[in-house]
Amino acid sequence: MRLWKAIALLNLALGVGLLIGYLWWGREASRLRQETTLTIQAGAAALEEREWAVRGVVRSVIPEINVLVVTHEDIPGFMPSMTMGFRAANPKLYAGVQVGDLIRFTLKGVPPNVTIVAITREGKS
Amino acid sequence: MSMTALGLCARWTHVGAGVFLVGTFAFLLLAGRSDRLTVVAWERRLTRWTRWAAGLLLLSGLLSLSYQAAVVTGRSEDALSAATMLRVAGATQFGTVWLLRHGLLLLLAGLILLREREESGWDWAAFRGEGLLLGGTGLGLLAWAGHAAAVEPGGLAAAGADALHLLAVGVWLGGLLPLALLLRAAGQEVGADARPFAVLAARSFSQISLIAVLAVAATGIWNASNQIGNVASLLGTRYGHLLLLKLGLFVPILALAAVNRLRLLPALSGEAETVGRPAMRRLASFVALESALGAAILGVVILMSVTPPGRHAEPWWPLPFRFAYPPPHDVAGAGTRLLVGSQVALVGVLGLVAGWFLGWRRRLVVGVAAAVLVAGLGVALPPLAVEAYPTTYRRSPIPYQAASIADGRHLYATHCAACHGRTAEGDGPDAAGLPRKPANLSDPHVGRHTAGDLFWWLTRGIPGSGMSGFGDRLSEAERWDVVNFLRTVSAAGRARGLTAVVEPDRPWLVAPDFTYAVGPGASRSLKDYRGRRLVLLVLFTLPDSRPRLGQLARNYDILQTMGADVVAAPTDGGDQIISRLGASPRILFPVVTDGAREIVAAYSLFQPAAWRSPPTHVEYLIDRQGYLRARWTPDARDWAEATGLLAEIQQLNQETISVPPAEEHVH
Repeated sequence: MRLWKAIALLNLALGVGLLIGYLWWGREASRLRQETTLTIQAGAAALEEREWAVRGVVRSVIPEINVLVVTHEDIPGFMPSMTMGFRAANPKLYAGVQVGDLIRFTLKGVPPNVTIVAITREGKS
Repeated sequence: MSMTALGLCARWTHVGAGVFLVGTFAFLLLAGRSDRLTVVAWERRLTRWTRWAAGLLLLSGLLSLSYQAAVVTGRSEDALSAATMLRVAGATQFGTVWLLRHGLLLLLAGLILLREREESGWDWAAFRGEGLLLGGTGLGLLAWAGHAAAVEPGGLAAAGADALHLLAVGVWLGGLLPLALLLRAAGQEVGADARPFAVLAARSFSQISLIAVLAVAATGIWNASNQIGNVASLLGTRYGHLLLLKLGLFVPILALAAVNRLRLLPALSGEAETVGRPAMRRLASFVALESALGAAILGVVILMSVTPPGRHAEPWWPLPFRFAYPPPHDVAGAGTRLLVGSQVALVGVLGLVAGWFLGWRRRLVVGVAAAVLVAGLGVALPPLAVEAYPTTYRRSPIPYQAASIADGRHLYATHCAACHGRTAEGDGPDAAGLPRKPANLSDPHVGRHTAGDLFWWLTRGIPGSGMSGFGDRLSEAERWDVVNFLRTVSAAGRARGLTAVVEPDRPWLVAPDFTYAVGPGASRSLKDYRGRRLVLLVLFTLPDSRPRLGQLARNYDILQTMGADVVAAPTDGGDQIISRLGASPRILFPVVTDGAREIVAAYSLFQPAAWRSPPTHVEYLIDRQGYLRARWTPDARDWAEATGLLAEIQQLNQETISVPPAEEHVH
């Protein structure tokens, strides 16, 4: 075979290889992205009841609607640390709880419908 | 020989061989075909050399990978471990680039070794063109395994410029050796048949290399500005010194190239029957010298590739002075001198440019113009020169944060206040016994010294003034804390101009970053709000502040809707502060239980008459870029109605961002 033909073929092969590699990489990237979204969705839509023990500081008690507003630490798999209102399972739980109290409470339910089922006071903040 | 030296030699050989191959193929294409015996012999010789070069390229490439394996794991025995080398090749960017490049280089080596007989012009061009393509890609891709690819942001542009730099170097520097060989062959008595070919080749190479050198210079400047960025890093870091060395080697190459192009090249085609044989031989040796200097430059480049780039290293300023504008100390008549001197210097520059294009008495004109330029600079620059120290351009490793400022404030009170005074005005009780009055550190001019200047004085003291060095009493971090505190004091002096009304589009006072936590909640910092929310930082004292906090709490939802968050820090440290605030009215914005002491220590400096009265209640409006924009105290009326505060927030919301975000470190 003539040399220039061989070289032209080589370059063609390189070009095709580059194209295939690029396409494969692009597909791989979008596949990974899709998988990630699916995983996140699966995590968010887990329809099973869960329970967390969380620490927080009481910012407000609203007995009229049976809600405790708490600045809480991270709740793994549910929400990051923030100031948030939670419904209490029963008004007796927060009897004697005051603004500024440091509490450890148990959240139970199917996210996002969770309620406080237990409270222990740990101090004041 | 040590491991490192071996690895660097391998890299040098690798780059050198790559440059040679690219240059040779480019030169062969450029020179064209010829069947003169001397030319054929020269080509055969070059082909032999390219085989060696290809072999060296692959071998040194393998050694480079093995060296990199040892560098990555930090164990020299890993240089011989195939498993580590495979891991480096498979899992790092260096490895990916290495694999890609060596795939191409293997093809190149195959092409060179298995070359069949060329039967036509197509074969001739295809072989050389393919060599240039494969070799050039292999060389250019090196940019993605070097410092350029790590530039953030714009790594692609930086690496692209670096690749262009490498290619231009390949075409120019790599072509010198083939040229020298050709000229030497043609310069011999038996090489007469190749002389016209050599003269033509030298001429076209001269044109191409001029373009290549311009490209090298342009991309080189671009690369240097990416990797070094400022004069301090150029003069004060190892990387900068290597670059200066590189430039130092580049200058004689340029001089040689200029002589070759302007003197020897025209002499080659003289009208005499000698056809410039002596000139040809001299040109051959000059070109060989150029290429030797080029090899030395490549050596420097290899050293640079393993040195942290200047902008990531802390510069050690080598000169006892620097130029600052405006000068930290007001010199009488500096403005006039600057104006006059700069105009004189400008005349000098114009004279130089004019002299360059002038045929008539060029030397005289250029000489006079240069003298005028020097005189102009001599008039303008001295008032701008200020004392500088090795650490002048050091950047503080400790961020400009409330915690550091609070520590610095405490250290100042312990170690500095006796002389510099409790309020930093240079009037401490021990000041009287000193040979020189201690500096008034609350004076605005302190802000014009660099943080590195202050650090130097703190570390070494000021001879003859009574200021002693604290290098042995305070740790490095503690000294930077004091520097951060002094920057805050200087900024606080200017903060007197801060009012309850936002100055539209004029952020100038950096808000020190701070970190806080509410109860067991995750800790947050001011920086988390950057680019997203305004922050109203409230320093408060119970019980006086309770009504105001209630007012803010009632308006919290509208504040939030307008993009502002409230962070309230108690001045008394915040023991059980949420309990003490009580249940009604509800306060749901962050009330700092952790970090309040540091916030108050730093931010109380920004209130009016900071030193005299302990803070009771003061509020700061911090914009999305991290600048303090307005300050409110209860004796002012504006924000007492919440609508006053909302108006200022609305003002900030309407601003278009005109300044970069506040810097994390003081300068």
